[in-house]
Amino acid sequence: MKILIVEDEESLQKSIEKYLTAEGNICSTASTYQIALDKLAVYDYDCVLLDLNLPDGEGLQILSYLKRTNKAEGVIIISARNSIDQRIEGLRLGSDDYLIKPFHLSELHARILAVVRRRSANGQRHITFNELRVDIDGKLVFVNDKIVFTTKKEFDLLLYFVANKGKAISKSAAVEHIWGDDADMADSFDFIYTHIKNIRKKLTDAGCKDYFQSVYGVGYRFASS
Amino acid sequence: MKLFSRYNHILILISFVGLIVIGFLFYQTLTSYLNRQIDKDLVEEIIEVKEFSEKNLFYEPHEFENLNVIYKKIARINGDSIYGDTLYYNPTKQVTESSRFLKTQMMVLKQPYEVFVVASKFEREEQIKSICLIILIPVLLLLGVVLLVNRLLLRKAWIPFDQMLKNINNFNVNRAQPYDSVEAPIKEFAELNKVLLDLSLKIKSDYNEIKLFTENASHEMMTPLAVINSKLDTMLQSNILGKEDGEALADLYKATSRLTKLNQSLLLLVKIDNDLLQDTEQINVKEVIEEKISHFQELLNGQNLSLVTNLTNVDLIGSRQLIEILINNLFSNVIRHNYQNGSIEIILNKERLIFKNTGHGAALNPDKIFERFFKDKSSDGTGLGLAILKQICNRQNYGLVYSYHDYQHVFEIIFNTKS
Repeated sequence: MKILIVEDEESLQKSIEKYLTAEGNICSTASTYQIALDKLAVYDYDCVLLDLNLPDGEGLQILSYLKRTNKAEGVIIISARNSIDQRIEGLRLGSDDYLIKPFHLSELHARILAVVRRRSANGQRHITFNELRVDIDGKLVFVNDKIVFTTKKEFDLLLYFVANKGKAISKSAAVEHIWGDDADMADSFDFIYTHIKNIRKKLTDAGCKDYFQSVYGVGYRFASS
Repeated sequence: MKLFSRYNHILILISFVGLIVIGFLFYQTLTSYLNRQIDKDLVEEIIEVKEFSEKNLFYEPHEFENLNVIYKKIARINGDSIYGDTLYYNPTKQVTESSRFLKTQMMVLKQPYEVFVVASKFEREEQIKSICLIILIPVLLLLGVVLLVNRLLLRKAWIPFDQMLKNINNFNVNRAQPYDSVEAPIKEFAELNKVLLDLSLKIKSDYNEIKLFTENASHEMMTPLAVINSKLDTMLQSNILGKEDGEALADLYKATSRLTKLNQSLLLLVKIDNDLLQDTEQINVKEVIEEKISHFQELLNGQNLSLVTNLTNVDLIGSRQLIEILINNLFSNVIRHNYQNGSIEIILNKERLIFKNTGHGAALNPDKIFERFFKDKSSDGTGLGLAILKQICNRQNYGLVYSYHDYQHVFEIIFNTKS
């Protein structure tokens, strides 16, 4: 996938670039409004990550530009402003998602995949990982084509890990993915452990290999080795 | 005590004490003056007795009923004349009266006699009474009028003050109109009004500045937090971290997420303060609660909390976001401050929403718990959850009451409070 990162905070830009490139994407960066416009005029991207507060212009104008020129890019706004109005304005101007800073890179990646998938008519509706297959539209999990019943949260969590396969995901990122703003609940980190234990059991019972690896006690990685 | 009553009490007290003292002195002066008059009459009588005696006659007053002269024969003359008050039975009038007497010893018809001249004071005393009344009644009337006029005038004069008090009580930093100015004809009150107006404007502008500062500071912190978060995520991908690094990372993640949550809560408070969440729609509270129950199911199960609900269908008009945050925070609170195998009870009806939970510790101070950053030492929350709850209730005009019953913390939200 080709991704354009429009973000003026250089260290954040670098982190995003590094993470997404490691996922096999081709990343391009723009620190200013002008550079972003120039790049968008010349190249096509699958997804644009757009910070709204740029030093030389308002990010929302890039959205209007994309809409005006009928560009097919998926756009995810990454903003420090958690404002309903701005969110609505962004969606009205054609953004596909709105991610509030600070966010986890694994969350960003999962969102990018979801946006790209939604936008492409013949996009992937399944994610396959060896004997495991996740049906995104039907919210179903299959092991060797045999269905495994999961709760909604277990499905979301599994999809999150599979989408970020091979990457270490911190418990805090997983908790925030599942519980969103309520993630400050005491001891909620332990529930991720319980959830993962349950998913592991269901998958291994169905004959799937155990792909969850603990990472330094900080998080987990979904990988085959 | 009201200034007016206090002033009146003192005024009445002084007036009455003054009246009594003056009345007493007045009465004393009058009495002694009249006594001297009577004494003079008595002396004249004695002179009459002497004159009659020289004509070899006993003087008997007849023209005056109020005067009697009594002769008593004695062995020899010794002692002086005595003036005095006595009760005397007047045989002519056949009544006992308060009287003035003069007792003296003298030679009458060359014989030693004790002469006792007694004069009734009855009429004189009546005179004194009349004089006193004639003076006292108008004075009392005047005092009454003064008090009445005082009361009316003061009441009228204090009207602007009462209004100012009411307005400053209604003053709310969040409302557009800071303080309703009051027209006051009295200079002091007009000055007070001006000071109140200036003060309220100053408070309002300071408050707005603080809000703006909080908002900006919180926003500015979000980008560095995003950098920290992304760097942590990147570091986590490294394969060369040791066990200690892992622990450090875990702590960093926790601290970052706490800081983020704190920031978000502050921003939310500012937003509620600024009325930025004013979308209104009809919300089925029962549905929201049931949704949240399934949302928090794992957390409930994790502590093995028993949940009892008694929910009726209630529709509220309000901001969905606010209602969701409200219920979220209530849930968050009853789960966070519960203990293993504890219980939660949720009651929803047309009038109120009640969350009860078992928890460590005794009753909390209901005046303190809704303050920002109030939390017990064991809590690792932001200390803003209940403050947000309070703020939302204020915005939606709901009542919010905390109480402690049967070892349970009870949070009660009363819809439709009329005020």
